[in-house]
Amino acid sequence: MSDIKERSPNQLMAFGIFGGLIGIYLTLLLPLIGDIIGGPIADIIITIAPAFGALGGICAVMWGADAVRRVAKYGLGTGVPSIGQIAMGMGIIAATFGLAIVKTYIIAGPIVALVTASVIGFIIGWFAQNVIKMKIPVMIRCMTEIAAAGAIVIIGFSSAVAGNFEFNNIMLHVYDNGVMLAVFWVGAMAILHPFNACLGPDEKQKRLLYLAGSTGAITMAVIGIAAIMTLGTSGIITFLIGVVLWFIFYKKFWDEVYLDASSVVGTGLIPKTEA
Amino acid sequence: MVLDLTMSMAILALMGALATIAGCLEDLESDVGSQSNPNSQVQLAPQMGFLHRIYNKAVSGEPVSNGLSAVVAGTVTSVLLSQNYYSLTAIVIGAFVGAIILAIYATTSYAGRVASQARFKQPLYMDIMRYTTPTIMAHNFIMNFCLVAICYIQYEILGYPFTIPFLALIWGISAGAIGSSVGDVHYGGEREFQNREFGCGLNTALSGRIVRKAESGIRNSIDNVWFCAKFGGPVTGLALGLTVFFSSWPTTIWGYTWTAVGVGILIVLVFIILNRLLEISVRDAYGPYKEEKNEKEAKA
Repeated sequence: MSDIKERSPNQLMAFGIFGGLIGIYLTLLLPLIGDIIGGPIADIIITIAPAFGALGGICAVMWGADAVRRVAKYGLGTGVPSIGQIAMGMGIIAATFGLAIVKTYIIAGPIVALVTASVIGFIIGWFAQNVIKMKIPVMIRCMTEIAAAGAIVIIGFSSAVAGNFEFNNIMLHVYDNGVMLAVFWVGAMAILHPFNACLGPDEKQKRLLYLAGSTGAITMAVIGIAAIMTLGTSGIITFLIGVVLWFIFYKKFWDEVYLDASSVVGTGLIPKTEA
Repeated sequence: MVLDLTMSMAILALMGALATIAGCLEDLESDVGSQSNPNSQVQLAPQMGFLHRIYNKAVSGEPVSNGLSAVVAGTVTSVLLSQNYYSLTAIVIGAFVGAIILAIYATTSYAGRVASQARFKQPLYMDIMRYTTPTIMAHNFIMNFCLVAICYIQYEILGYPFTIPFLALIWGISAGAIGSSVGDVHYGGEREFQNREFGCGLNTALSGRIVRKAESGIRNSIDNVWFCAKFGGPVTGLALGLTVFFSSWPTTIWGYTWTAVGVGILIVLVFIILNRLLEISVRDAYGPYKEEKNEKEAKA
């Protein structure tokens, strides 16, 4: 609907890419800064650093959820969960490839992963559009965006569990103990659930974005619990920030529900209709 | 760990029993929230003017949502096990956290979907939200507990090379897939269209025209689970339990040998024959699809 002010796709893309990458890079930079400063402040900085990876992941979740919304609005009812799963499928391949291929230039890893994901997403979108002939105008752009968001979600939440995005570190702390499955599945749900839960003719972007923030924060809390196993105190901090953020976004979501719903009643009979 | 035959059979029986309970509770949990297949009719009803008091738990399909709760439960359990918690305590806490996460997703989908149907005047009933969500959690908790217990047995006792979160995800997806294919029929076709003739099929004109009156008062999701618990849930449990039992039984008795493979193929063949016999007997009993009078008139 044109009379409602919406965030543009480009705004959200910038938010997802920059927010996500800044969060991911802070997991690597903050410990370096901490080492330079030294003293008790350094300990605090190093302890909170992994939580930023998860915060970057939340930015990407909000971007990805909006991309899912744009493509799924063309009547993909049962296709919404599939889109979420394919997002993470593309994301996990690109993330693993991107982080593994850069051997000495660790810092380039996330960007290589992002580019790889975009290429994979573009190819899959092109196939859906031109080979399967789905005839959805935004298909190619949205698949590219969803794949890129998926890659950032995977790297962001993985680095929150592993401490940083160095490949061997992630292999040891995220893949070997099976936490990757939680990152993959809970992250996919975080991206696909907002549109799936708000599906309907009166769906609004604002409510969906708050819900995306809430599902992203749930993922952060779950990842925080997993990080207690690998990082100890940092995991507890990630978990607590996740719970606080979840509470804020969940409350905002419910405020929007109260505004948007036809009526919110404690109990009552079914209103009379023509049927 | 190397086990003798008696002990392996005991463990297999335990796993079968746990899978049976998990499958049953999985199907009932999806029925409480009208998830999966039947969800489309609940979603469509307000559009057709049929406002209702039924929970709309659209947490994607059953395999995905059960995979979610199971993988969270598995992850939390392995975190607690790494902190040297007693295994039973770890599994219980893990299952509880998984149920909480699923319940949060359930509340947002009910609220979100109803708010997105504002133009059809579908009200958001908070009493439904308050007493149905804990019911969903309770069912899901038991499912998580059974599934993670199976994973724990596989990982710690049988020495599977996969980690607990991995096994939990696979089990969650399997339970969801079996619940979706076996149990849904008893809620979708039978319960939502109970006022139509049994086996009449769902005409497009009937879409969304679900039954909204209960045996007493207005029907809600608890009435639906009461109905499904009579047959749909238990039969789903049997399906998952038998799948687990029959897929592990040959290797338990004969080990990883060609004999076990042969017995496995034999079991599949026996089931194909049984299914065919069942199909023939059902066709004999109910006969071909009878067209209604007005349908014949419409054709002519």
